[in-house]
Amino acid sequence: MSAEVEETLKRIQTHKGVIGTIVVNAEGNTTLITSTKVDYAGLLHQLTMKARSTVRDLDPQNDLTFLRIRSKKHEIMVAPDKEYLLIVIQNPSE
Amino acid sequence: MSPSKSVSRHSTPSETGSQDSAEGAAAGRSGLSGVSKHQTQAQSDRTLQWDTDPSVLQLQDDSELGRRMHRLGASKITQVDFLPREVVSYCKETQTPITGTTHLSEGECVRCACVRVCVCEYFIIDITQHSIAPSLQELTEEEKQQILKSEEFLSFFDCSIRVMERALAQDSDIFFDYSGRDLDDKEGDLQGGSSLALSRLFYDEHWSKHRVITCLDWSPQYPELLVASYNNNEDAPHEPDGVALVWNMKFNKNTPEYVFHCQSPVVSVGFARFHPNLVVGGTYSGQIVLWDNRSHRRTPVQRTPLSAAAHTHPVYCVNVVGTQNANNLITVSTDGRMCSWSLDMLSQPQESMELVYNKSKAVAVTGMAFPTGDVNNYVVGSEEGTVYTASRHGSKAGICEMFEGHQGPVTGLSCHNAVGPVDFSHLFVTSSFDWTVKLWSTKHNKPLYSFEDNADYVYDVMWSPVHPALFAAVDGMGRLDLWNLNNDTEVPTASVTIEGASALNRVRWGSAGKEVAVGDSEGRLWIYDAGEGPVRTDPVGATVCCWIECAKTWTWRKGSQSIGQGNNQREG
Repeated sequence: MSAEVEETLKRIQTHKGVIGTIVVNAEGNTTLITSTKVDYAGLLHQLTMKARSTVRDLDPQNDLTFLRIRSKKHEIMVAPDKEYLLIVIQNPSE
Repeated sequence: MSPSKSVSRHSTPSETGSQDSAEGAAAGRSGLSGVSKHQTQAQSDRTLQWDTDPSVLQLQDDSELGRRMHRLGASKITQVDFLPREVVSYCKETQTPITGTTHLSEGECVRCACVRVCVCEYFIIDITQHSIAPSLQELTEEEKQQILKSEEFLSFFDCSIRVMERALAQDSDIFFDYSGRDLDDKEGDLQGGSSLALSRLFYDEHWSKHRVITCLDWSPQYPELLVASYNNNEDAPHEPDGVALVWNMKFNKNTPEYVFHCQSPVVSVGFARFHPNLVVGGTYSGQIVLWDNRSHRRTPVQRTPLSAAAHTHPVYCVNVVGTQNANNLITVSTDGRMCSWSLDMLSQPQESMELVYNKSKAVAVTGMAFPTGDVNNYVVGSEEGTVYTASRHGSKAGICEMFEGHQGPVTGLSCHNAVGPVDFSHLFVTSSFDWTVKLWSTKHNKPLYSFEDNADYVYDVMWSPVHPALFAAVDGMGRLDLWNLNNDTEVPTASVTIEGASALNRVRWGSAGKEVAVGDSEGRLWIYDAGEGPVRTDPVGATVCCWIECAKTWTWRKGSQSIGQGNNQREG
């Protein structure tokens, strides 16, 4: 991992309330980076794919740019891309 | 397979249990099958080869056969083996290691190259199998590193991380509900005093026994100290009549920090606010006594003379008001005399005043309280059940207004203490022998509300120093009640009866609003923790909510002006 990437990841990880950061590949079967012990990657990948397909079904010119799931305990933010998925889990009340 | 056989199987669709034998030896069935065999064979000559409509056959059976004897015989059992269903299970843990050991088994941590125990946050996983997605991919460490260094990854990362940081920095609590309704569900407490738990009991065999606790006060300098005054012990006439004990909450010892006594029963006591070493006591004889914890003496270091210039009746209220530089000790006795003293000179009062209402009758004062921040105006409660406001100086010095409402002597009086964004300093509560606690405002001379949940004399009441809607009350049945006006005005939010159910004479909140000290008629001093319940993670928001709730409650009260009735028309 390059130092820059590492440093950025560290900055994100130490942001207020951030619980974990995950990077998955586009197929959802390889987790490249994770800082949590819980398996968010597989589940969130499926959800992101579904969300993306929903968006594209509604309008084929459209595409998913960001996915945010707010739950009672956490907020999960997914930034999808063609090749990878960046997932950050945050505890918003901190 | 002959059609009849298949047919016969079909013709008995409801038969369960043993299978049809291949030979059809079962008489009943074979009988039937036999018939149907003939039938269908006959039919088959005329109709289709396989007439497998079971309903048709059923009808024919019934009509042709009528009632037949079923001959029973042994039948051969065919065994059919069903293999257990294969339950496909996915092992999730293969995707991301759950424990660090998986990390270790990879060899070395890529980031810090340590082999054994690695405490770095990021560990690169080697995926060996993945069952959720259809395709399996095996990536070695190097491959992963390659990916992470690749151009496309870096550009993806760069873009997404930018967006992510902006998203992270956004306001998190979009769900905050200012009405406070949200908090009730979450049990984020604004319950305030939703539970009472006994913390300690202070009792001294020698000094507390058979004495009634007449007054309590927490120290303003040391929040763990509190002083309790006791009246006389009838069983021990040779012991001093008046006792004041200073107890310490911080340590586990069960003996008082300081023991003070004097010759006359002490009916009121307080720490001198601006003199950390002095304890002031008001006695039954009218003398004011001063104890000093710097001296080794247990008897008062100073006392006021018993003269007509001072008090000659029991002094039920002693209060130090003012500021560090300009302070006075205000004392009021039951003959209506109010004296103002300087603690440096107790030989005579600085000023004294008779509290008379309408220039006619003197007020027999049983309690006195100063509103927060006010040194001139104060409120007094009397034996007749009336409450008066009075002022010390100015053109209207003396009794100003009368507040009628109680039907028995007023036992306790408390002005709203909590300081916050909304000003409630005009509110005060009173307790009385008439079994009620009443809420008043200095702006109206009828009570705003009457709390009637008690079944005995209510001996004392006090507002919480921090929570704007919470107050405590004690009664003669040994009950300590916490009322939270934000929750309910009909019943107390928390209530506890002390062990032994002796009458509770005094209640005092600790300065942090977390503890309540209660003194009873047996000389026992109980300390209760007023549980706040689970508090919201946002204490500032919680406090604000608390005040807003109180303000809402207050505006409702003003609107409906319910006087003494228990009607509770709140929608919430």
